[in-house]
Formats: sequence, C-alpha cells, structure tokens
Amino acid sequence: MEETNFVLLWKEHYEKIEASLAINKRLLLGALEDKAKSSLSSLKRLKTTGIILSVPYLLFLGALLFWAVTHYSPALFYFTFSVAAIFIINIKALADYIKHLVWVNNIGYDGSITNIQQRLNKLQLSIISHARIMCLQFPFFTTFYLSNKWFPHMVGWGYIVFQVALTGSFTLLSYWLYKNHKMESLNKKWFRKMIAGSGGRSVAKAIEFYREIEEFKKS
Amino acid sequence: MNPADKPDLFLSVIESNKGIIYKIVNSYCKQPEDRKDLVQEIMIQLWKSFEKYNDNYSHSTWIYRIALNVAISFYRKENTRQKIAQPLKESILDFADINNAQEKEANFNTLQQFISGLKDLDKALMLLYLEEKSYKEIAGITGITETNVATKIARIKKLLRQNFDTINQQ
Repeated sequence: MEETNFVLLWKEHYEKIEASLAINKRLLLGALEDKAKSSLSSLKRLKTTGIILSVPYLLFLGALLFWAVTHYSPALFYFTFSVAAIFIINIKALADYIKHLVWVNNIGYDGSITNIQQRLNKLQLSIISHARIMCLQFPFFTTFYLSNKWFPHMVGWGYIVFQVALTGSFTLLSYWLYKNHKMESLNKKWFRKMIAGSGGRSVAKAIEFYREIEEFKKS
Repeated sequence: MNPADKPDLFLSVIESNKGIIYKIVNSYCKQPEDRKDLVQEIMIQLWKSFEKYNDNYSHSTWIYRIALNVAISFYRKENTRQKIAQPLKESILDFADINNAQEKEANFNTLQQFISGLKDLDKALMLLYLEEKSYKEIAGITGITETNVATKIARIKKLLRQNFDTINQQ
C-alpha cells in the first residue's frame, strides 16, 4: 500500500463517523459545571489539605522547639535535637506541598506535548521523592523522649540494648528507604514488588516515560 | 470574551472540531468506558483553557495540544483516575447514526491496531500526520524540531508499510 493511502484510509473512515458524531450538550455542560472530576483537581485538593494540616503541626513543633531552646539544659538535649530534626523535615514537606501546588496550578495542558509532559512527569517524580525525605524523620521519633537526666546512666543494660536496637533499626530503615528510592533500584524486581503498593508502579512508569520523552526529543 | 457568551462559543468550537477529539480518544483508549472518561477530561481541560485561548493558533491546533496532552497523561494515571472518575452512563460524544459507526474495514483496523501499538508520543505524531498537518504545525504541537518530525514520521511510516506488507503476504 502506498503511503498516501494511509492518509486516505484514515480520512475516509473518519469522514463517515464525523458526519454522524453528535455532542450530548446536556452531558457536556453538566461535566463542565462539575470541574471537581478533573484529575489534577484531586491533586490540588490533596496538596491544599497537606498545607492546611502541616501549618498547625509545624506551629506545634515550633512552639516545642522554642520552649526547648529557651529552657535549654543538657537534660533536654535529645528532645531539642529530635524535635529540631522533625521540624526541619516537616518544613521541607510544607515547602514541597507549596511547590507542587504552584506547579499544578501552572500546568495548563495547552503547551507543546513534550513541554507539558515533561512538567507533569517532573511533578510526579517530585511527589514521590518527597516521600523519601519524609522517611528521614523516623529515627527521631525514637529519641525525643530520652533525657540526659536518666539515660543512659540510670537505666539497665537491657533498656540500653532495646533503645539502641530501636533507634538503630529505624535509622537503618530510613537510610535504606532514602537510598533505594532511586531510578536504578527500579530495575530490581524485589524493589519494584516492595514499593508496588505505595506508588512504585507510578515511579516506574514516570521514569520510563521520562526516558521516552528524552528519546523522542532526539532525532 | 463576554462570560455569558462563553458556553455558546465553546460549544460551537467543540462542534466544529468534535472529530479531532473522537479520533484522539479512539486512538488512545481501547475500552469504551475509558473513552467516555477521557472525553470528559478533555472537555474539562478545554473549557478551563478556553479563556486563555491564544488566537495565534487555530482552534484545531489548540484542541490537538490539549487533547493529546490529556490523553497521554490520562493513560499514565490509570490508578488515580479510577478513584476520581465517576462511571458515566452516557457519553458526551455519541453517534447519531449507529450503523455508520459500526462499519469496519480490515485495512483501517490494521492501521488502528498499528497506531495503538505505538508509544504515546509516536502515536501523537502519527495522528497528526494522518490528519495532514504540516511538519511545521506538528513541530509546534509536539515541541520538537521540523527535521525531527520528518525523521520520526518517515521511520513510523516505514514500520507501518512493513506491517501491511506482512499482513498482505499472509
């Protein structure tokens, strides 16, 4: 078949269909009124909720930190250090929520395909990488209650071993999650299986598509 | 644009270009249920962008950009979409004459099958080529250079020809 025939074949087929296509105006106008169904709107709501919830949480952490710093004594070392770390990580989370919301609001779909798809992909990857930063706060939830007043000299060896094992395992888990949330790990079957339930498939798809766009831009 | 005129103006633009939306949806979605959802998502995005419509582009170019972007993103967000999209009983775009729509041609099916098998971005290129868009226009819609458009289309057409040859030989 000559190449021009493909165009003709396409044209002839759709000419018939186009002539019989009808717009259901009632349904169309109904859909336009109900903009909430738009897929990016749900992401906007999620990010807005994240911001709304983050602010009081950060104020609470900030107040704790302020109190700890203004009343500082060596007994408060663990508490101050842990709350400070959780506070900083959650500040980063709030910044991410705001950044994502700005990005979502700036994506208009009317740009060129490569440009818009790259921006959407960047957003998707950034949302997922945000999760790995959040993992870093885990160990600090196992240390904030400790005090130099009684730890380690006033507790038995059993508690020391328990505490070291608890904080150590949370640190290892955080570090492992942080380190393995990367493109290279997605080639590993065990990792894909492990993160499949928490958006891992989306990461794999996003990365694959990222590569596809890069490839597409090359001649 | 007078806000009161917006729905009528929008409807008339959609009416004149409904074929574009239908063809894109048809090429990107295999399942009829998905098609209805995709039509709705495209319409919402078109409506949202309608006020910002830049008349440096034709309505058709504007629709191609939005519809292709939505279609490509739609497919990659299957999981998210299932959670937010309500199942539609009817479709915004429907056939007035169902008999015409049911006509199938073997060659067309082969072509459609070939298109379905292409990667999302190549699919967009092929659709624009079949719609007889100039390389310049395709470059503008996709965001790659005209030379790149020409090279890629030539490559896809070569594959398509091979595909048809194989089927004809069988």
